[in-house]
Amino acid sequence: MAVATPETRLQSRVLATVTVSFAMDYVLLLQRIFDALFNSAIYSSLALALVIIFRSTGLLNFAQGEMATFTAYIAFVLLSGPQPRLTGGGLAGLIPGVPFSIPLAIIGAVVCGMAAGAATERALIRPLGGASDLALVNITIGLLLATNSLMAQWWGTGPRFFPSIFPTGAGQHFVILGARLRYSTVGVWAILLSVLVLLVLLLRHTRAGLAFRAVSISPSNAELVGVRVGPTLMYGWALASGFGALAACLSANSVLLEPSMMLRVLVYAFAAATLGGLDSPKGALVGGLIIGLSQTLIPAYVPFIGFELSVLPALLAMVVILLIRPAGLYGTKRIERV
Amino acid sequence: MITSEQRVSRLSAVGIALLGVALFVIPFLTSTTSLRQASQIIVSVLAVLGVNIATGYGGMISLGHGVFVGVGAFATGYYVSDLSLPWLAAIVLGAATAGVSGALVGLPALRIKGIHLALVTLGLAIVFRPLSKRFPSITGGVSGRSIEARFDAPGWWPGDGRMASSVYRYVFCVLVVLVALWATWNVVNSRFGRSMRALRDNDTAAAVYGVDLVAARVTTFALSAGLAGLCGALQVVLVPFVSQDKFPAQESLIIYASAVVGGLGTIWGSVLGVLARTVVGKVGSLAAGFDGLGPIGEFFSLLDEPAFVFGFGLILLTFLFPRGLAGIRRKDRSTQ
Repeated sequence: MAVATPETRLQSRVLATVTVSFAMDYVLLLQRIFDALFNSAIYSSLALALVIIFRSTGLLNFAQGEMATFTAYIAFVLLSGPQPRLTGGGLAGLIPGVPFSIPLAIIGAVVCGMAAGAATERALIRPLGGASDLALVNITIGLLLATNSLMAQWWGTGPRFFPSIFPTGAGQHFVILGARLRYSTVGVWAILLSVLVLLVLLLRHTRAGLAFRAVSISPSNAELVGVRVGPTLMYGWALASGFGALAACLSANSVLLEPSMMLRVLVYAFAAATLGGLDSPKGALVGGLIIGLSQTLIPAYVPFIGFELSVLPALLAMVVILLIRPAGLYGTKRIERV
Repeated sequence: MITSEQRVSRLSAVGIALLGVALFVIPFLTSTTSLRQASQIIVSVLAVLGVNIATGYGGMISLGHGVFVGVGAFATGYYVSDLSLPWLAAIVLGAATAGVSGALVGLPALRIKGIHLALVTLGLAIVFRPLSKRFPSITGGVSGRSIEARFDAPGWWPGDGRMASSVYRYVFCVLVVLVALWATWNVVNSRFGRSMRALRDNDTAAAVYGVDLVAARVTTFALSAGLAGLCGALQVVLVPFVSQDKFPAQESLIIYASAVVGGLGTIWGSVLGVLARTVVGKVGSLAAGFDGLGPIGEFFSLLDEPAFVFGFGLILLTFLFPRGLAGIRRKDRSTQ
């Protein structure tokens, strides 16, 4: 299945060049892969958010990144306690600061994010009732712009330090074959995988999960058999925004918290989702893994790209996939009726 | 949906007359700085018009027109300083370069449609800044680059000094924008314009009626990118400095938002979108200037942020007036 796509052919070519250098410097390569794994988890998680919404509502949520960043700011406020200057000016000062511990703050942010996602679906998406692509793009772009400038207004555009939930000091890593695997990388994957297990249990073994799966396959048929489509979609948006919030809170330490921090990440996540197939959760995971690895490995072995431009291969990959195989690796093929 | 713009309604006529008077009066009332700002606002109509051509007439959602503005600006700067071309040639070539880059983006748009195209163009908008940092000899890298050449008033122009040159630049920009609006109006009402709209409404049907899909899509995108590039070129005329940090992704999105808020599918809408952006921003900055308004004051200072206003405006108008400001008066005929 995966072998035939040009994308994987590209990947294997990358792997081929990588194997050449493997003989020379396998520790460096392994180190790069280990480093890439952290980003992979973040991209997978945001891509999952995009896929869950695309699958159920059929729209690409361009505002996903900004919504996630907003929750990271909420976590930041929860962490920092009642210090107006830290927590932001104006209306943001009204949010009570409680010096929560980091895990508690992140959980709080995820809960807020889920509520915000559900509210967005209820207030902005459902009333449109299956409007045109253009209207949906307008809503999500509007949300992106408004949220972004709201954050800039409240918390300023300067980057802020966000503590990591994992120990990140100098010696905090495993040593495997001479390369360092950081605790934070292991931790972020552990969190992502356990949340995924939770998601699968939720989808497979609860009524709401069953309803959600039915709506994802066919909203009209689900409605006919008595599933309440609206609340189910709201549930999906809540889940998706939860994943987004998790991605933002876990990456805010490494990319530094600022209003536009998820914009670039969003390109990677969209590339990952497209690569895996926009309606396939499994694809999002695999896509995130591949995009994360290539983001680190391509600039390292193709000098022209450099780290500044590392987002370019992701965009090109996205274009190529959409041109040649719009369904991605695991997505369902869409048949257009004329 | 066939809406012809052949008729100019009475309201439009009044609006055009008012705008004409305003355009004429502005240079007599202002300083060099505010005249430059006014020129910049007028020039930004072109970028919005570009989005309108691609999205409103061609049906291809473009969230990345800031990129073409950037290409136009960088290219013009390069032609006028590195190749020492005369300004007029540099402006034309700068717009053309943006048009060519638009045609390149238009090529994948043959297969990538709807939200997927929106996705790709958004990606382009996000990638543009790091990409332009990568070519510092043209773009000046991180800190930008100042252009030696100045677009100054020639000898025959009345008056002298900085003000005369400012007025000269203002008049030049206004004329270029007016000519571009007129030309675009003619294009969208020509045979090509009809095939463009046919493509938007139903590309299969358009193909059946003999519209060359490839040529029409690529030309539409090139034209729309060329208009955005012209906007970039005129920005260099007004401020001889190019820098990547003038073109963040948000800028592209605000241009898109202005086009939608003003009204897609009408030339007039692009002008309205820019007017709305200006008026709301002015109200916001004036009101935010007062102290002691408390939370209301903060709301007004948010109005000063075009990103917030247009984000909010996009959402509001999608619900209330899906045809944008230009469509408020029009009876809602099959809005999709």
